[in-house]
Amino acid sequence: MSYQIISIAGLLYIIAMPLYIVYLLTKNNKIGYLATGTLSLGLLAHIYGFIQRFKEMYAINHSFMRSIPITNLYESLVFFVLCLVIGYLFIEWKYRKKSFGVFVSIIAGISIGLTELLGVTKEVQPLVPALKSNWLLAHVTLSFISYAAFAISFITGLLHIIISSESKKSFKYIFSTTLLGLMVFILFSMLIDIATAGNPKAVRIFHSTLGNASAFISILSWITMFVFIIIFWRFGEVIVKILKELKIDANFLEEITYKGIAFGFPIFTIGGLVFGAIWADQAWGRYWGWDPKETWSLITWFVYAFYLHAKFIRGWSGSKTSMVAVFGFIVTLFTYLGVNLFLSGLHSYGSM
Amino acid sequence: MSKLEKWNEKIWNFFASVDLAVALFIVISIGAAIGTIIPQQLEPEPTIRFFLKFLSMNNATKAYEIVSLLDLNNLYHSWWFTFLLFMFALNLIVCSIDRLPNLLKSYKTAPQPLPHEILERMPVKRDIELSNKSSIADKVLDILKKKGFSTNIFQTPDGVQLQAKKWKKTRLAVYLTHLSILIILAGALLGTFFGFRGHMNIVEGTGLDFAISDEGKTIPLNFQIICDKFEVDYYENSAVPKAYRSYLRVLENGQTIKFNGKDTVVVEVNQPFSYRGITFYQASYGFQPAEHAEFRFTYFDESGKEITIKSKFEEKSKIPGKSVTLKVIDFSPALGIDEQGRLFNMTTDMINPAVFVEFDIGGKKTHHWILKKIPETWETPYGKIRFDELWGAQFTGIQIRKDPGVPLIYAGSILLCIGLFISLFLRPINYFVTIHKNRVIFYSPSSKGKVIIEKQLDELINKLKGDKE
Ligand code: HEM
Repeated sequence: MSYQIISIAGLLYIIAMPLYIVYLLTKNNKIGYLATGTLSLGLLAHIYGFIQRFKEMYAINHSFMRSIPITNLYESLVFFVLCLVIGYLFIEWKYRKKSFGVFVSIIAGISIGLTELLGVTKEVQPLVPALKSNWLLAHVTLSFISYAAFAISFITGLLHIIISSESKKSFKYIFSTTLLGLMVFILFSMLIDIATAGNPKAVRIFHSTLGNASAFISILSWITMFVFIIIFWRFGEVIVKILKELKIDANFLEEITYKGIAFGFPIFTIGGLVFGAIWADQAWGRYWGWDPKETWSLITWFVYAFYLHAKFIRGWSGSKTSMVAVFGFIVTLFTYLGVNLFLSGLHSYGSM
Repeated sequence: MSKLEKWNEKIWNFFASVDLAVALFIVISIGAAIGTIIPQQLEPEPTIRFFLKFLSMNNATKAYEIVSLLDLNNLYHSWWFTFLLFMFALNLIVCSIDRLPNLLKSYKTAPQPLPHEILERMPVKRDIELSNKSSIADKVLDILKKKGFSTNIFQTPDGVQLQAKKWKKTRLAVYLTHLSILIILAGALLGTFFGFRGHMNIVEGTGLDFAISDEGKTIPLNFQIICDKFEVDYYENSAVPKAYRSYLRVLENGQTIKFNGKDTVVVEVNQPFSYRGITFYQASYGFQPAEHAEFRFTYFDESGKEITIKSKFEEKSKIPGKSVTLKVIDFSPALGIDEQGRLFNMTTDMINPAVFVEFDIGGKKTHHWILKKIPETWETPYGKIRFDELWGAQFTGIQIRKDPGVPLIYAGSILLCIGLFISLFLRPINYFVTIHKNRVIFYSPSSKGKVIIEKQLDELINKLKGDKE
């Protein structure tokens, strides 16, 4: 089954995370290669799983164009991670810097983990008639490629904020370290969720921690979460030191942040907005209908347009623009997942 | 300057400023986001029900009053949201008129050597010494030209100054991007004022010459749309529809209009069809037995010939060549079997249509279930009879739309993509090189993609050094 192979890929991504950390701490090149190797191995498994999934879809739909596995929440998350890891490995190769591999492996691991946790259907499902369109393929594929580009600019933007904040009391520093602490807490929480769940299909997010039935464990988890945040706040400067020792300068991070957006923005425009509108026009007889998903895509678009204009015409620079990039990805995540979880609409990824 | 002129200039500058653009990005985003939270329905109940989740009844009604005052339940068509979009468009227009002439002028003016202080302020700088003094300038020129740069060379008091430019005119693409957004907005406006949307539910075997608009008004059409046939395919053993389609016919002044030489057009989800500027979309379907509904069977006689039998509910029909009559006495669109082995009807979707027929041979009656999808049930004591369909028991839901703005939307979208790709992927690259004796200094004014520019400069310098060795 394709999803078991993809789970293995997720596991390899998570293993790559400590390797990248050890590399950052020791600066031992061999461990660096090992980290990159593990991540690449995960990618190979991922690609293999993706192709298997494709074959499973093909067996049902008998059409090449209709068999790209991106038709439900699970498949879209898997595809997002695929783009993210490919994009990261490309940057690592091009700039010869492994600085933010840790964070990519965390996000990749979390995302694959999410599919285990949210109990999303991993079965190959037949397509309902509305999804039978080649515009769907173009729309969804390009959207997720741009999400992956935004994710990369989120990571480097966050690091850029940390590295360029002078004092622990500055808003920038508190904001970025808190976010980091939260991310790592969520990762651990999900690992415990998986480990303690009896049935792998019935895992629920935060079940073992924040949302535990026992008030004691729940409170303890909340405390742990704040401890995580405080640890990251207290030792955030260590990250800064490591990054600086590795000759990762603010310029590099700022540039990758910009590149991610400069690449993602046109792709998002054409794939997310234009192809989405064409598809809606063909399927529903309107190219724009202020459906929550459409509206939030527009908001995402505006946030990144804001970034470009603030940076290039208003002359904003440094961590101010990186904050916009970080915020942009949070909005992107809401567009992708939040809209389906919290608001209702026509788009199908909500059905888990 | 008179007071009026001063005001004029102030207003102009206000609308030409990027500050306004940046502010509008934020305000429009927040406005649009509110609309995804508050129910967009005009009746009071949904809004009040929404607020009751976290407010008391009293406050919820008050909240509703505020909502309806600000049109928050019809936000995207409210006066203030429209006003914001209008400001956005005006901002774009004024800003472009304000800046474009300067940009165009800069292309026309002859290049000038830049003073030393300006060069020194540029964010990227590389300083090298070369051992070989002769013809350094020519070599630099040669390398840059090979890379597709257009170059200018000046003699200054400090030595030679070289200027190299690539993709200079791609700056114009930004204006294409902005123009395309205006085109899209214009298309949307056109559609709002000169277009309409509506819905028609046509029962199989009947026709309609009007649609009902989203606001509940009748939209007359100058022709009639007839649904000859409607069908749904389901995935095997599942209630998930695989495809559904209507076979439509257009009747105008009593004449059937031909499309590509055919009388009927097939409309499917994702495959609309257009006539007289109106587009017809397959949207939904439903169960609605009409007076004229009839059961259709195929009878296979002894010689293997296939004969169609049509029969209305509880009406006797003769089986050809036999003295037997057939009468449908029960019908199920989705026959299922429960745990006790009893038959029951699952839904009104035609997932597994079945008929219960009564055969009558000279007063002797026998009963039989015939299921469309189970060939074993077609074998009856009186020959093989296949149940084909119950025709005239479903309606097809057709969405109709006329929108003269769509061509503009499509054209604007294409221009938008072209403009964005050029302005973000093909940025202008400028290098300034000063050569004094054997000292060469490279400058670049661009801080966008500094790391990449430095890398390209490194490459250039390596080439320059490598050529000599
Ligand atoms: C959502 C709508 C908009 C999009 C997608 C958009 C897109 C862009 C892009 C991609 C650039 C190039 C930025 C760069 O140098 O990398 C740009 C530049 C610019 N935009 Fe916009 N823009 C939008 C709305 C506006 C508005 C409303 C204004 C109104 C003042 C505006 C004013 C400008 C200006 C002045 C430039 C710089 C032009 C130049 O460099 O000569 N933009 N825009």
